[in-house]
Amino acid sequence: MADNNGHIDLDGLFDAARRDSAALPEALSERILADAAQVQAGFAEPPARAPSPGLWRQVKALLGGWPALGGLAAACAAGVWIGVSPPAFLPDPAGLVSAAQSEVDVLGGYSLSSLYLEDG
Amino acid sequence: MTGDAPSDDALLVLFACGEAQAARELTARLGPRVFSVALRVLGDQAEAEDVAQEAMLRLWRMAPEWQPGQAKVSTWLYRVVMNLCLDLKRRRRGGSVNIDDVPEPPDLGQSAPEQLQDRARADALQAALMTLPGRQRQAVVLRHIEDLPNPEIAGIMDISVEAVESLTARGKRALAAALAGRRAELGYSDG
Repeated sequence: MADNNGHIDLDGLFDAARRDSAALPEALSERILADAAQVQAGFAEPPARAPSPGLWRQVKALLGGWPALGGLAAACAAGVWIGVSPPAFLPDPAGLVSAAQSEVDVLGGYSLSSLYLEDG
Repeated sequence: MTGDAPSDDALLVLFACGEAQAARELTARLGPRVFSVALRVLGDQAEAEDVAQEAMLRLWRMAPEWQPGQAKVSTWLYRVVMNLCLDLKRRRRGGSVNIDDVPEPPDLGQSAPEQLQDRARADALQAALMTLPGRQRQAVVLRHIEDLPNPEIAGIMDISVEAVESLTARGKRALAAALAGRRAELGYSDG
């Protein structure tokens, strides 16, 4: 099985190697199947789900966390305080509500209907 | 494989769906090839067993993401085995050995003369393979012992088809040189 140059017939050696192919050792086969069973058992378990956050956590996250909540609380407190005890330079809101309408005639005696007639 | 036998793809999908028999069938079908090619490339039984087990473990884990028809399961496995072999070789530093350092073949008992000669030739080839650089050895094993086509080997080794052809050609020349002095010992005669 050597060629005319006396070289080794490599194809013959490759054929011999294929015929002599190693069988899977029994112990290795068992280890592979044990791995398969373990991995397959993991497929059956439902995927781990993170617990759903409570309403308060969701609101806090929506507003931007503790810093945003702190600012919001300060603004609320300032608004309440200004409402209860307004500074002296501010008009009394109760007076604004009950004040009479202004009686200044911005048209100075002109009638809107007569103005339209002049344009037209 | 007969026409009725499920494909590797189908078995992998069945495995992912919890079918235990699919694991046995895939192990029987692919396990020997995975172990055999690892043994050829590494030349060490214990290391080849570790690589084969790890490659099959990766197959099991990957099963739920496998997309049938996209690639051959065996090609994917060969690729994993080759990469594991390269990693192992990097870890132990080196890889090529002197032909005289390869361990003696095991006692062959009462084997038939043809089997004895096959074994002697396979062992001589293995010893010569171990003298090749790692990538050459992988290409020669995949092409000439696993009998894979060059394009598939290119995919497994992540190189071009031309690079596969170059590796296998150089590998065969190196093998012929390594075995040149052992013709008579292997039962070959000139002529």
